[in-house]
Amino acid sequence: MRIIYETEEGGVAVIIPAPECNLTIEEIAAKDVPKGVSYHIVDASEVPSDRTFRGAWSWE
Amino acid sequence: MSTVKSSSEDLTLNADGSGNDVVIQGNGTNTATITAEGLLKYNSGYGSVATAYGCRAWVNFNGTGTVAIRGSGNVSSITDNGLGDYTVNFTTAMPDANFNVVGMVCATSDGNKSSLRGISLYGPASITTTTARIRTMNGINTAAYDAETTSVSIFR
Repeated sequence: MRIIYETEEGGVAVIIPAPECNLTIEEIAAKDVPKGVSYHIVDASEVPSDRTFRGAWSWE
Repeated sequence: MSTVKSSSEDLTLNADGSGNDVVIQGNGTNTATITAEGLLKYNSGYGSVATAYGCRAWVNFNGTGTVAIRGSGNVSSITDNGLGDYTVNFTTAMPDANFNVVGMVCATSDGNKSSLRGISLYGPASITTTTARIRTMNGINTAAYDAETTSVSIFR
């Protein structure tokens, strides 16, 4: 799973949970997403693996 | 040989009283101490009993393709902010932001093991009690770069 949110600069940040972490994805989102920022929990397969234009990613 | 053993419950070594330490000796010599303040001190080849400053968090991750964490300790997640731009998020916060960040990066996909890669803190405000934001780069032209292996350790 991945947590996606839009950054202040207009880009997209992707949170990758640590496998050894004993927190749920929701707990990680509550802790690691900046306060007041909305986010989305998606499957890792929904995040592009081609990072050639990483800076141009957007969330729809 | 004498053995201190507890099979059914926690074993407590209690140096009761204000300022008293728990001391372990070998052949009459102090080899390790847990102070009343909670500092762990040991010799272990130092030549003297000194405070051990432990690694408080660490992570090893692949920053290419589908970014993934290989292993970690006291890290809840990493945030992929962009090309060569990551934030390490701690599970348990540090007591302050004056800790030491150590990092290494390695690129093997290009087959050039002599390639120079670099890692740095993202900026003056890149560390907080709960995070450390780092930047990985091409060591020659400092352009942002995703590395196959990025490892970061936090000492305090």
